[in-house]
Amino acid sequence: MTAAPAAGMVRRPMSKSETHDLLGPAAALADELLHELQKDRTRLPVLFPGLPRRTGKNAIGGGVRKIGDATVDLDAFRTCDLVAAHLVASIDATEAELVDLFSHGDLEERAMLLRSLNFLPLGGITNNLLGEALRTNVVLHLEAAMCDSDLLARTIAAGAVDADTANRLLLKFAFIDMDLTRAFGAESHASETLSTMLQDLATEREAAGRSVWRHTYRMLGLAPCAGAFARLLGGLEHGDDGVRQAAADGLLALRASDSDAATLIAQFARERSPREPRAAIKKQLEQLATN
Amino acid sequence: MLIFEPHIHMFSRITDDYEQLSLAGVRAVLEPAFWLGQNRTSVGTFIDYFETLIGWERHRAQQFGIHHFCTMGLNPREANDDRVNKDVLAVLPRYCEKDSCIGVGEIGLDDQTKTEEKFMSEQLELARNHDLPVLVHTPHRDKMKGFERCIAIVREANFPMERVLLDHGNEETIKLTRDLGCWSGFSIYPNTKMDPARMVSIVLEYGIERFVINSAADWGVSDPMMVPRTCVKLEQAGVPREKVEQLVWKNPIDFFAQSGRLNAEMLAQPASANLRETFEGNSVLRGQDPDKL
Repeated sequence: MTAAPAAGMVRRPMSKSETHDLLGPAAALADELLHELQKDRTRLPVLFPGLPRRTGKNAIGGGVRKIGDATVDLDAFRTCDLVAAHLVASIDATEAELVDLFSHGDLEERAMLLRSLNFLPLGGITNNLLGEALRTNVVLHLEAAMCDSDLLARTIAAGAVDADTANRLLLKFAFIDMDLTRAFGAESHASETLSTMLQDLATEREAAGRSVWRHTYRMLGLAPCAGAFARLLGGLEHGDDGVRQAAADGLLALRASDSDAATLIAQFARERSPREPRAAIKKQLEQLATN
Repeated sequence: MLIFEPHIHMFSRITDDYEQLSLAGVRAVLEPAFWLGQNRTSVGTFIDYFETLIGWERHRAQQFGIHHFCTMGLNPREANDDRVNKDVLAVLPRYCEKDSCIGVGEIGLDDQTKTEEKFMSEQLELARNHDLPVLVHTPHRDKMKGFERCIAIVREANFPMERVLLDHGNEETIKLTRDLGCWSGFSIYPNTKMDPARMVSIVLEYGIERFVINSAADWGVSDPMMVPRTCVKLEQAGVPREKVEQLVWKNPIDFFAQSGRLNAEMLAQPASANLRETFEGNSVLRGQDPDKL
């Protein structure tokens, strides 16, 4: 986790009024806490832990919104997350202060800080805290760090994490079986290297009799590695509906980028289609069959 | 029957204990910060321990459906240790504000030294500053004198008695504390301190008002199942089930609810063992199931 933000990248955090407007009844308390912090910012470690019980954990609501540079799903952001973001942004909390809060924070504090990253400038702190989240298998924190927003995609695009870390962050979705569509735009960072990592994990899981992360198929289709084609075609014959659907989805992605493969894919799809019992998957196969 | 185990050191226990507790109806545990069996030599080890109580241990308990709470404090044994005592007091305010911290403790007396008394007084003040009740460890040697001294220190601090839980009581100390207005804790051990049969006798004689029972299970010879075991003995002795339930569920909740950070509603459901769906009742997945497309 040594990457620095790429020079010249757009880094516009939310404006204070943007968050303040979203706080609703918690705005008054946020003002009070901010006033206290402006008088004595060393109070931050003592004020921060109490935010969930003082502001509540209800979802902000309002669906997907663009706030500053970030695209976030406010249905997944809680009042305490946004108050936390508002406070640390408003006092221009330093990286050292934020790392201290995270290092000594409880599960909720860490989740609030990870959600706050969406509203802070991309940079060292993003790299640092995503790295902390990556070291854990705490689903709450991995969700807070990477889901329901485009933070991961923006971070990778901006070079705020190095390529290896980016791949390991994406691999974590497979490892703990999180839905990649919750990380807005993340699949645009599919790569052959990542596909190889996903393929290896899938093989390991299969050997252990475990299920394979469904999004593996799409990522293999987007950026094929050795063995990807065979896995995708084989997936069409799987007994699990979800796997067949994912495999068909992966093949659609592959076909879009590899015209040589399209003919062969169409041939298999035509053969499989009459035997496919599920209408939704049949429809995908019909698409694939059209070369 | 639901059980709130109000004094257990899960840090020193294995996951099998969590499973057994869960199967026996333990919905929540309170883990007081304590002495780890040997003295620590720097404040950093206290910090790491406190963070285990609010982090990993809480997460571990949730995997078994158990809500995990803690009290934070400098234990009396290490209050005597000048290598750490002042520094630990200095870091405690931040930990007293953690969501799962619902009291200050274990504080109190052990060897009954003047230094222990000083740090007990300072931590009563800490509890007052953070609006928290206190869990008081009482000495295992010269117990009656220790109880008297703890009570005197609480009075000198003008700390409200109803926010004090004097723990590790027995048949003798109950005579002293029954009418004080404080809460009385009884630690049920396999061989020492208090056993289920003696606890039954105490309940039959004194009732259950402002009583809690616990296992105080730790790294020593102890049994985390002592509260469920005592429940069985109480019912066998004819104590009505609702009284037993008050003793092991409502009473500890009522005491620690004085923190303002705990109520029965929060414990209405087991802690989520699947954090992808809910965490403390908060659904961050909004109904999504990663296993389905």
